[in-house]
Amino acid sequence: MNKQEFTLSIVADNNFSILNRIVNVLNRRRVRIKKLVAHEMEGNFRQGGALLLLYTTPDLMEKVKHQLEKLIEVEQAEYSPGNEQFLALVSETAKLEAA
Amino acid sequence: MDALLTSNKEPGTAVKQISGSNALLNCLLAEGVDTLFGYPGGAIMPVYDALYHYSDRLRHILVRHEQGAVHAAQGYARVSGKVGVALATSGPGAMNLVTGLADALIDSTPIVCITGQVFAHLLGTDAFQETDVVNTTIPVTKWNVQVTEAKDIPAAVAKAFYIARTGRPGPVLIDITKNAQNELTPEIRYEPCTGVRTYRPKPALPIASVEEAAALINQAKRPYVLAGQGILLAGATDELKSFAEKTGIPVACTLLGLGAIPQDHPNYVGYLGMHGNYGPNVNTNECDVLIAVGMRFDDRVTGNVSKYARQARVIHIDIDKAEINKIIKAEIGIHADAREALAALTQRCDAQTHPDWMASFRALNDLEYEKVVKKEIEDTTTLKMAEVIHQLSSLTGGEAVIVTDVGQHQMVTSRYYRYQNPRTNITSGGAGTMGFALPAAIGAKVAAPNQQVVAVIGDGGYQMTIQELGTIMQDNIPVKILVLNNQFLGMVRQWQQLFHGKRYSFTELDNPDFIKIAEAYRIRARKVTAQADLTAALLEMLESPSSYFLEVVVEKEENVFPMVPAGAGVSEIILEIPKDKT
Repeated sequence: MNKQEFTLSIVADNNFSILNRIVNVLNRRRVRIKKLVAHEMEGNFRQGGALLLLYTTPDLMEKVKHQLEKLIEVEQAEYSPGNEQFLALVSETAKLEAA
Repeated sequence: MDALLTSNKEPGTAVKQISGSNALLNCLLAEGVDTLFGYPGGAIMPVYDALYHYSDRLRHILVRHEQGAVHAAQGYARVSGKVGVALATSGPGAMNLVTGLADALIDSTPIVCITGQVFAHLLGTDAFQETDVVNTTIPVTKWNVQVTEAKDIPAAVAKAFYIARTGRPGPVLIDITKNAQNELTPEIRYEPCTGVRTYRPKPALPIASVEEAAALINQAKRPYVLAGQGILLAGATDELKSFAEKTGIPVACTLLGLGAIPQDHPNYVGYLGMHGNYGPNVNTNECDVLIAVGMRFDDRVTGNVSKYARQARVIHIDIDKAEINKIIKAEIGIHADAREALAALTQRCDAQTHPDWMASFRALNDLEYEKVVKKEIEDTTTLKMAEVIHQLSSLTGGEAVIVTDVGQHQMVTSRYYRYQNPRTNITSGGAGTMGFALPAAIGAKVAAPNQQVVAVIGDGGYQMTIQELGTIMQDNIPVKILVLNNQFLGMVRQWQQLFHGKRYSFTELDNPDFIKIAEAYRIRARKVTAQADLTAALLEMLESPSSYFLEVVVEKEENVFPMVPAGAGVSEIILEIPKDKT
């Protein structure tokens, strides 16, 4: 299957090591991370989000999503094909930061 | 909701202050822990100091290496169904737990490991015996956490036990800095954790998928159940039997699933996998509907995936959603607890029989009997591993707890021991950890003192954790140790013979006098080299009220068959050594 870009959006409890846990799952499956933005949730530092631009196959993307959702801290892991959503979400996050 | 922490004092009264270490031990008692397997050291000393005053309530078993502690906790958990607990110090102590954590993760074993850590202000400074335990153990734990303040200990313990035992069980590690162990904290009423906001361990039964699966099963001509450890973990052995009996479907077990259905049950057709029985492997590629329950299609079960059950419509029941479609595409995935799913399926499936299909397993297994089994347990002139295990099975009626290590003896035991009960087959499956059996048998015997516990080990694996004989001696743990000594790392040697031109590269072992070693640890010992002495020696071992070491010197270059060769499909399983490989 052909590899393509996916935007992965993760909502998780903002515990120490959460980024390591997420990246570990991707590394183990040898999924390439092209870009990564991590942030605390506005008004609730106990929750965080991560946006990742990944390069992998659709099949592996689906499998990795379920493996990420197994992480105890992860509330939700959703993905969509392409980088449009990644760029839009990053832009939205930047606007919120500026405001 | 995470654990609630409430004072046990009336409003207005002073709250008693206790140390973090005492709080930890109180929490363990509240979780129903009765035994700890551990090894002290600098960074866990406050906990050990507190433990001195809890010896009437908490049994501590001093192992000889931290790997022994974690495997013993695994053995305890696998037999009892409770959470096993191991204690270790920081740095090398914690690192020595890693193999056992990895083993427990892949084999879904509920354990909680507690490690001491350097003072919080020293974290990240390369202090003496400081290692980054949390980040090191992320890939080998279901969850882990570092606690740096005493007040956070009860909530961490509550969450750890909840996560370890719910959903797909697994290992959890709590790393506690030394200052947190020493600090005073209010004594609180411990309340177990009943939920974690982001963690959904028990999915709702997907009724629509169950109905779809039932319809598929009702139409099937050659349906086939693959039973994994998920059946045992879910306590679904009765549900599996009811399902098989009503539907007339043959059931085969994976390595860890052995014991999910009694081996004398008429629907049981054998053991799956690389060295499994002939019929179950061949018929995987003949069935029309494959019903996989609580198993994860390990590569030792599937062989070459591209040649695996291509003709079958697959139903996969598993509590771990990530397992469904991970290796084998399921037409119907049922993300559910195995017990609930099997009960619901049984209700919806028609009562049927499949006599011809069932007979095909018998015919294939008869062929295996003629080609393999008969030669190993009947027409023998030398001591063979199979004969030893066959006799052990007969003498114990398949009722003993059998703890195996990894290698040829493990495969032979899986093939020849007739497990009758759940939670009696304790082995290292996914990780294949040599050195597992001796300490795991200690944990198993502590969990089930009234059951016969026999550790069956090869001469290679035995020497990986042989120091645990000291634990057996000091705590008078009446484990029976049966070493099948072929003076080789047998399984590696078998592969060298079959796939590497018989170049036995560093697999032959020059062994010590195992009898003297056992006797040095005050363990009764006997060595058998002749077939004629085998039965009497096994009986002597089984009847011994104390620990017993029995060494059986078996044929040196024996191979385990049947075998699915590397890269082959399951139906390409071979019954004997190819002529060009002898």
